[in-house]
Amino acid sequence: MTPQSRIAAVAAPLVLILLWQLACLSGAFPAQVLVPPSEVARTLAALASSGELERHIGESMFRLGLGYVIGALAGLAFGATIALSRWAEAAFGPFFLALWQVPVIAFVPMLVIFLGIDEPFKVAIVILAAFFPIALATFDGVRGVPRTWFEVARVYRTRLPDLVWRILIPATVPAVLTGLRLALTRAWVVLIAAELLAADSGIGQMMEMGRQMFRIDVVLAGVVVSGVIGFALDRGAKAVERRATRWRTA
Amino acid sequence: MSALLSRPWLRIGVGLVVPALVLIWWQSQATAGGARAIAFAPLQSVGTAFVELAESGLIFSDMLATLSRSLSGLAIGGALGIATGVAMACWRPLDRVLGPLLMAIRQVPLMGWLPLIGLWAGTGGASELIVVSISAFFPTMLNSYEGVAHVERRYVEVGRIYGFTAAQRFRLILLPAAMPLVLTGVTQAFAFAWISSIATEILLGVGGGLGVTMQLAQTQQRLDIILVTIIATALLGFAINQLFCSLRAHLLRWQASPL
Repeated sequence: MTPQSRIAAVAAPLVLILLWQLACLSGAFPAQVLVPPSEVARTLAALASSGELERHIGESMFRLGLGYVIGALAGLAFGATIALSRWAEAAFGPFFLALWQVPVIAFVPMLVIFLGIDEPFKVAIVILAAFFPIALATFDGVRGVPRTWFEVARVYRTRLPDLVWRILIPATVPAVLTGLRLALTRAWVVLIAAELLAADSGIGQMMEMGRQMFRIDVVLAGVVVSGVIGFALDRGAKAVERRATRWRTA
Repeated sequence: MSALLSRPWLRIGVGLVVPALVLIWWQSQATAGGARAIAFAPLQSVGTAFVELAESGLIFSDMLATLSRSLSGLAIGGALGIATGVAMACWRPLDRVLGPLLMAIRQVPLMGWLPLIGLWAGTGGASELIVVSISAFFPTMLNSYEGVAHVERRYVEVGRIYGFTAAQRFRLILLPAAMPLVLTGVTQAFAFAWISSIATEILLGVGGGLGVTMQLAQTQQRLDIILVTIIATALLGFAINQLFCSLRAHLLRWQASPL
């Protein structure tokens, strides 16, 4: 990043905020349509000091974390299994690919019938959103390992735990990590959608309640918070990805 | 052992085992009675629901509604996306101003815009179309930008030797060279528009479409209808994606295939 583009990266949002503030001060927009950024900042501060914001973020993060961990573990196990065993691939592959055609969000009405609209439903939708990309990335990663490596392992009579730990994991780390990162952002997007539909807490629900009560400041605060969290998740995952794949280029 | 799998009929047979087991399990849950049976719709009622929806034509009008919403969103968002991406790649100052701004906007989960747009445009078809258009905007914008920004320098240099004007350079060099990525963007944008159409339909529940029918069926506890719509969603989404991929291949047939 050149210094110039670094300045631009900081300046552009500042200019936007300034223009937004000026547009509101000019009185062109009634307060029901757009509130100035200063108002949004005030609302955010009020939500934060009352502990409400913390509760919403905490709830959302708990759902995301729990669902993501379960979905990721299941996806890793499933992806590795169908990649390693031709029989497993033949048995589960077609069913998996058929389900893959359905957008995760389209499972929402069905999950609501089975699980209701409470906590299990939201965790389940995150599990689904995380499972599919991770399973596919793991499958691709494991299939991409050269056959000769397995043959070498066979010659050395490598035991299965060693095979997984010393060959499979290092060889598949880059593809799997990319899958894990994409799945994390997708899970966050899907969770926000699910919270809009039905929840008693969470960032999505905060926005939806704001909309119903015509509190545009709360809605905008939610937009900002969900954007910052999405950005932080993506950046965090990218940093982990870089660290974990550093040895490849070194 | 694995050699057996090279026989196609056996492979298909093995692939059918898991779906068959799921169906049997499903059917046993549905006929077991008790509270769970209400949630699990028996298979014959899924069949009846399909016949019912097909005869009344509802499923087809829903498919058409969702499809036309996705395609309208793709037309609006995609056109704006391509124009913005190309303009940003051709003109650096615009890139500097707009780039960070669009990146900031992109961080917000798409459905996170729905409450805000709902306040501005009401919870009707207009809001749905706006969100679908936004979803189509970003993939086309990013890919067009990449395509134009990374045209091989030697092509541009050849153009300079021939004394091309700016318009000629754009039409004869930049556009064809960027075409593969632009079309990739359009294909991705359709997938995004399709998913966000279903999502907004489920969340707002207005204007007809597969998502609206699903949402309505959920409030009526009609799992059979939901399953029929999910299957219709999967098949239609798959078919259109294939169509876009072959369309892309057709439009790019002049390209040398990568070795």
